[in-house]
Amino acid sequence: MIADLERVPQLDATWRDAPGLWGFLTTVDHKRIAARYVVTALLLMFLAGMLALDMRWQLSTAENTRMGPQLYNESFSLHGSTMLFLVSVPLMEAMALWLVPLMLGTRNMAFPRLGAFSFWLYLGGVLTLWLAHAADVTPDLGWFEYPPLSGPAYSPGHRADIWAQMITFTEVAALAASVNVAATILKMRPPGMTLARMPVFLWAMLIASIMTILSMPAIMLVTSMLIADRLVSTHFFSPAGGGDALLFQHLFWFFGHPEVYIIFIPATGFVSAIVETFSRRPLFGHNAIVLSIMAIGALAFGLWVHHMFAVGLPRLGNDFYTAASMAIALPAGMQIFCWIATIWSGRPRLDTPMLWVVGFLATFVIGGLSGIMTASAALDLQLTDTYFVVAHFHYVLVGGAMFPLFGAFCYWYPKATGRLLSERLGRIAFWLIVGGFNLGFAPMHLLGLLGMPRRVYTYPAGLGWETLNQVATAGSAIAVAGGLVFVGNALWSYWRGRVSGPDPWGGSTLEWASASPTPAWNLPYTPRVDSLTPMWRDGPLRVMEGLALDRREVLVTSVADAAPLYRQKSAPPSIAPLLAALATTAMFIGSIFTPWAIVAGALPIGAALTAWFWPTRPRAGAAEAKA
Amino acid sequence: MIFVRPPGPVSPALTRRAPCWAAPLLVAVLGGCSSEARQLGPTAPQTRPISNADPRIPAYQANVYQVAQGGRYFGWYGCGGCHAEGATGVLNLGDTQWKHGDGFADLFTAIADRHGRLAYDRRVPVEVLWQLTAFVRDLPAHKAEKRMRTARDQKAEPQGATWSGPQ
Ligand code: HEM
Ligand SMILES: [Cu+2]
Repeated sequence: MIADLERVPQLDATWRDAPGLWGFLTTVDHKRIAARYVVTALLLMFLAGMLALDMRWQLSTAENTRMGPQLYNESFSLHGSTMLFLVSVPLMEAMALWLVPLMLGTRNMAFPRLGAFSFWLYLGGVLTLWLAHAADVTPDLGWFEYPPLSGPAYSPGHRADIWAQMITFTEVAALAASVNVAATILKMRPPGMTLARMPVFLWAMLIASIMTILSMPAIMLVTSMLIADRLVSTHFFSPAGGGDALLFQHLFWFFGHPEVYIIFIPATGFVSAIVETFSRRPLFGHNAIVLSIMAIGALAFGLWVHHMFAVGLPRLGNDFYTAASMAIALPAGMQIFCWIATIWSGRPRLDTPMLWVVGFLATFVIGGLSGIMTASAALDLQLTDTYFVVAHFHYVLVGGAMFPLFGAFCYWYPKATGRLLSERLGRIAFWLIVGGFNLGFAPMHLLGLLGMPRRVYTYPAGLGWETLNQVATAGSAIAVAGGLVFVGNALWSYWRGRVSGPDPWGGSTLEWASASPTPAWNLPYTPRVDSLTPMWRDGPLRVMEGLALDRREVLVTSVADAAPLYRQKSAPPSIAPLLAALATTAMFIGSIFTPWAIVAGALPIGAALTAWFWPTRPRAGAAEAKA
Repeated sequence: MIFVRPPGPVSPALTRRAPCWAAPLLVAVLGGCSSEARQLGPTAPQTRPISNADPRIPAYQANVYQVAQGGRYFGWYGCGGCHAEGATGVLNLGDTQWKHGDGFADLFTAIADRHGRLAYDRRVPVEVLWQLTAFVRDLPAHKAEKRMRTARDQKAEPQGATWSGPQ
């Protein structure tokens, strides 16, 4: 899309951030915020990956003494909590924050400052967990911390509080991001992009956001109840005091199961986008895929009990949740067949993004199959808490979410940086990661069947577990080496990569209409859309005028038909989100130590929010109102 | 690297490992750090405290894990049978009134030697006596509802007479 010459400087002036540090702290540019999210999360992925390698080192031989039990407990707790709460979910949100406005051809998110607030709070959660770790107050009860073990009697000190509060941080951040994404997708689509013409990527992000909004309150509630039990001696989880320890598990998994789909559904969005572009044909079965995603989203809220088969629930309960868990294989399988059909009937090109999709398909199917096995209550009683489960969830999380994410990274990297990743290094990284991963985690299925429990820091010799563990460690090391190549490639290409131009892959959706890297105002004009693949129409993209150039303005459209409704002022940069996040941080951290922090902390938060929402234009006068 | 860390109590080494920007935080939590250390396996005291100023005392008294272990043994050995919440006089352990002194060694002796035929000095291992002493000295620091909440979580553990483990 080519803009008039005088238009660009005007847009630049309107959408510019202040220079330097002030601009860094106040920006509401969704692309800058998303980039921060991505970089922070990738750094944490590296740290948590090194922790994993350290654990694998410890397990590589029987009776190894590199780690003691306490350090091992801390390691897997930190690894699991980081990977799920600070890496996977935030990365998916970051991709939405970055790509949703671009794919809609709009100038910013619906609530620009909420995006900034979301990142600062996420950073608060990161620092809470990792600074506490630096100070040796590391949570040590795994990524879900059941009472009574995490209650006041068995977890004195603040390790469990750190974990619970880290969750509060990341969940508020996730809620903020999700509300933002949902509102943006529903109300800011370009004219012509009716719900029926909305790309799968946007559907996936919309549904994942709605799931986040529905499931996060459960975990915020449950961690707050845990903190209350620990801090002010409530009895929520104390059976002897009339409470219920299982209540924690129900509430946790009512969030925890949807959580894995909150990670996986955005990944299906990446896969759909990549498959479409690289098969060079519109996605086969668009409606079927969208309906499958909806079905997965709905079913995901009815499965949580499969994480509790071993706690002794009624038989009928177990049977019901077995059936419900297996049902999810239907929509998941439907999606996979649609992708395969697209590739089959298209003219596929095997660049690295597509390579990752192939890696995803192979690996995720294995994870899905072991999932059907653990979904069966009878079999799960044998498998639960063994390495079979460790193998299963790494296959679905790494194979089902990380591989598509790596593919997405390769696919959209040129959009973010203006340069292409090296394909050669990319292929090396791909084979090392996918090969190493499968070598590392496939043997764990066998280890689990042989009876090796998860979360053990060592095992005696002579049980026949040594060789498989050694292979697992070797595989993990290879995968980590591949990860380093991947990161090295990203760094090298940032300065040395081939210049990509706006649309290196011939993509189908609107983000490819913008320049790479994208300027602060995204697209010079508002696009008009008449198909699912607007970039593939014959002739140039049709656009419309009408938004102000001299002030920040966005177009709001109707939910179903995307008919233009009105022009909306888009919030300019502000320090208020950072201040509000700092005040919230003070309250969250303080409430680990005293309940009064909630009362005292409400005042600064109120002040920061008042500054945030302070009206910037005069109230309408009486005369104006009459007119 | 912060993630390769030997297990066991933290000490001055902490300041060396942590990055410099963590310094202000460390100052703030340093007291808290070693109090969170969690040592599993054999530990120091094989003997009684020599005095109220025995250098081994902080490792127990100032460590939340050791204190909490003392709380579990408090139930196992049936201490709560007499020293229940709301007990009066000498039996009340939450009132900061100690008949024979409030020092660590004073209370250690009171537990080990002043319980007549219960003969805790023979029946309870030395390390457990350290933990019990630390727990008992910690009791007045908590509100009654906190003590009750903790005890309720431990209700399912064997209590005194219902103990079925090794005698
Ligand atoms: C090279 C990559 C990775 C390796 C080598 C690895 C290795 C490990 C190991 C050794 C454990 C401990 C198993 C146990 O003792 O029970 C573990 C646990 C775990 N991992 Fe990973 N992991 C990797 C990547 C990931 C990723 C990308 C995620 C999530 C997106 C993840 C999520 C988890 C979770 C949730 C746990 C369970 C922690 C707990 O038991 O509370 N891992 N991993
Ligand atoms: Cu589940």
